[in-house]
Amino acid sequence: MPKDKADLLQGTLDMLILRSLSVGELHGYGVIQRIRQLSDEMLHVEQGSLYPALYRIEQKGWVSSRWDVHETGREAKFYKLTRAGRKQLETEEASWDRLCLAIAKVRQAT
Amino acid sequence: MKWFNILRDRIRALRQRETVINDIDREMRLHLEMQVDANVRAGMSPAEAREKAMRSFGNLNRAVDAAYDVKGGGVFETLAQDIRYGVRMLAKHKAFTSIAVITLALGIGANTAIFSVVNELLLQPLPYRDAERITTVWEVTPEGRHQNTTSRTNFRAWRDQNTSFQNMAAFTDQRLNLTGTGEPEELSVQLATPELFKILGVEPLLGRTFLADDDKADQPPVAVLSYGLWQRRFGGQANVIGAPITLNSETFTIIGVMPPNFQFHIKQRSGTGRPAELWSILSMPAGGAANQRGRFLGTVARLKDGVTVDQAAAELRTIHARLSDEAPQFNKNYTAEVLPLREQFFGNVRRPLWLMLGAVGFVLLIACANVANLLLSLATSREKEIAVRAALGARRTRIVRQLLTESVLLALLGSVIGLGFAWLGIKALVAISPRDLISLPTVGLNFTVLGWTLGVSLLTGIIFGLAPALHVSRLNLNDSLKDGGKSESGQASGSRKLRSALVVSEIALAVVLLCSAGLLIRSFMRLQQVDRGFTTDNVLTMVIRLPAARYKEDPQLVQFFSQTLERVRQLPTVRSAGIVNFLPLYGGLGSNTGFKILGQPEAPPGQGPSTDVRVADSGYFGTLGIPLLRGRNFSDSEQREAKHVILINEALARKHFPNGDPIGQRLDVQMFESPTPAEIIGIVGNVRYDSLVDEAPPAVYFPHPDLAYPFMTLVVRTDGDPTAIAPAIQREIRALDPNQPVSDVRTMNQVMSEWVARSRFNTLLLGLFAGLATLLSAVGIFGVMNYSVALRTRELGLRLAVGAQPRQVLLLVMRQGLGLTVVGVVLGLAAAFALTRLLSGLLFGVAAVDVTTFASISILLVIVSLLACYLPARRAMRIDPLSALRYE
Repeated sequence: MPKDKADLLQGTLDMLILRSLSVGELHGYGVIQRIRQLSDEMLHVEQGSLYPALYRIEQKGWVSSRWDVHETGREAKFYKLTRAGRKQLETEEASWDRLCLAIAKVRQAT
Repeated sequence: MKWFNILRDRIRALRQRETVINDIDREMRLHLEMQVDANVRAGMSPAEAREKAMRSFGNLNRAVDAAYDVKGGGVFETLAQDIRYGVRMLAKHKAFTSIAVITLALGIGANTAIFSVVNELLLQPLPYRDAERITTVWEVTPEGRHQNTTSRTNFRAWRDQNTSFQNMAAFTDQRLNLTGTGEPEELSVQLATPELFKILGVEPLLGRTFLADDDKADQPPVAVLSYGLWQRRFGGQANVIGAPITLNSETFTIIGVMPPNFQFHIKQRSGTGRPAELWSILSMPAGGAANQRGRFLGTVARLKDGVTVDQAAAELRTIHARLSDEAPQFNKNYTAEVLPLREQFFGNVRRPLWLMLGAVGFVLLIACANVANLLLSLATSREKEIAVRAALGARRTRIVRQLLTESVLLALLGSVIGLGFAWLGIKALVAISPRDLISLPTVGLNFTVLGWTLGVSLLTGIIFGLAPALHVSRLNLNDSLKDGGKSESGQASGSRKLRSALVVSEIALAVVLLCSAGLLIRSFMRLQQVDRGFTTDNVLTMVIRLPAARYKEDPQLVQFFSQTLERVRQLPTVRSAGIVNFLPLYGGLGSNTGFKILGQPEAPPGQGPSTDVRVADSGYFGTLGIPLLRGRNFSDSEQREAKHVILINEALARKHFPNGDPIGQRLDVQMFESPTPAEIIGIVGNVRYDSLVDEAPPAVYFPHPDLAYPFMTLVVRTDGDPTAIAPAIQREIRALDPNQPVSDVRTMNQVMSEWVARSRFNTLLLGLFAGLATLLSAVGIFGVMNYSVALRTRELGLRLAVGAQPRQVLLLVMRQGLGLTVVGVVLGLAAAFALTRLLSGLLFGVAAVDVTTFASISILLVIVSLLACYLPARRAMRIDPLSALRYE
């Protein structure tokens, strides 16, 4: 059931959330959908993981939130990347790239 | 920023729990709605869409809770929940709770009581302005005697030549007779140069303190009253300022009254032994008439800003070296020292106090170990409950937190009752402590002390709670759920190891405390048995000071004391009576005086022999039981003969006449203006005058009629209780001079007992803590063995069933307990070897590592622990094999 937990390395959820917000404001549901789209339906983040992660990220000051009216006329809470969040995203992606590169090298060597 | 956000969220979560939860709830529900919408768009029926969305969402409430946890509300809510649960648990296990709370209360109470004294004496600021800038200054004698008083000449040089101090004042304590209104009374008076109050920085309650001009010769003499004297003699009236007061028949003008708590009393060097009740000006005439070289002045000074004590001390040593070059006959090999005021007041109690705090710390640790053991027993019986909670999804940290909350609750309960104990303990401490140790009425429970107690109890709660909590949370769920913790599973054996370790450390701690207490007790006993050179039973002493204003001539002094002795000897029950200027153990006033032996070559200045000088009459020696070893005692004929005679003590005879016969030899003791040879007529036994600890130094006795002295101590030996005769003696003295008070009416036994008071106090206190430690560790051993027997019921039953003798089972259990004890004792002895060295300054006549003491302590502890094991062992012996086998 918790597919994201099984498939996502510790800490990558934060990076995915930040990445999904990098193009603009989104509400929680939108974050899940965006990650799904971007991953070609391969990654599905559960609400149970998303919201605690979002709140944590918000406390760290990487995103800010506000209530607004959704295009469907409903209210929703929108999250937006802060400058600190953008910087954090760069750091995390850089270290992720390094990790992937390292793993790739190891795999090619064998 | 990050911390700020978290804190803001937590506070918000705490204060507006509803708002926060609603916020989260709303967000989640909207999320759900969006999912439903999406499902409908994908072609499901509305009902199906909702159901699928709900299913994928899971439990909405739990999701909200999890999110709320992140927002921080969880911490406080969990805490509240844990506390509720903990209280319920403690209420359920009443026996456990009460034993644990009492144990902790004893430990925390003892800690709080001792800490309150440490806090007051060593941590609180002294009651003077910027007290850390105030120091005392003393000389150090060529013999290495510290805190020696200085002379007018030397003080003047210090004051005028130094660049380290803002101000410097000299002072000396004297007793003066107050006459006039009411009963004549002897007052303790501090004479000081005018800067004293400026240095201390204390304002008067009424009037003024000294001004710089007050010491001018043409100014009328002034007096500042203590609050106590003002209340006692003047009824606390404000119009006392400007009123006259008569001291030693001289009239002073009262210029001020000090606030109630003001005091400046340096006991070690006080000639009166009592805090001053009145301050007056110490005149510092430069002329030749005054005593310029006599060393009788204490010095207090205020450092300039930025100057350290070390810098000031270095400068004063330089000045003193110069003084030594200028006047080698007075200052050769003397040097100066500077002491911070706190060091001056409490330097000698600091080590014992920290030691006591360490000792109560040990007691508290033992209490913690005991409670940890109790908690382990309890936790083992709660294994099932905890396993269920773990199975239902409680994380390990959550369980540990729950258990720690319980133990901190226990500790807090303990500290509440402990504060009660501490309050009683402080009362008792102040009551039994020597007057000079805890004389401060301010010792008590205050916020600093309460803060300490709170800190200590939180810490203890965590210390004794952590091991059991970690241990229990590591439980193997399956085992625990299956057998409910009844049998000795692998888990229980881990717990047994932990408990054994706890008991071993308890015993080790108790051994250290007992060894320390044992050493103190032994040295206290040694102190009592020391050959002090005089007997104390049935002897009454009292001090008489004749004021110079009324007794101007030596014959007047002689006549007064002779008549007093004559009258006292006539009184019923009086066996003998005598007088001496300074009693044994009166205080550090032994006057070290240089002398020459006539007919022997003269030593270079500052290196000649010196001796203690006393003035006594012929009756003194017999009354105090000081033996005459050779020659003859003083006789009344001395009064009429022109030649001077003296008695010497054995130490002087041994040191300076190792081969010849001192009797008939003549000494020139430098007490007089011109050389005055005196003939040795006899040798008396050594008396330990300055302290019981030190060997008696050489001493010379001048006969009372020959060397008239205005200050004398009357010693009277009686049949039976000596205190009964005191009123009669005072009546006789008043008959001779109605204006003459007496003071310090004490039996010789009281003098002794006051001298050893501090040693007795330390011994008593440490003994008490060691006893408490032993008791607690005995309880600890009992608990562990008892529990072990309960766990092994089945095994022991089986042994009995297959033919083991009850005796064998008894021995089996006893052996187990003994094993733990021996390990504990060995570890404790090792620690004691390392730690009792800290006691060395407090010991007398016994080494810090004393085999006899250590061996007897070890045996004592083994016996105690065998007794503690006996009850569980007997229970094991009486196990009924049948019921034991059915047990499960």
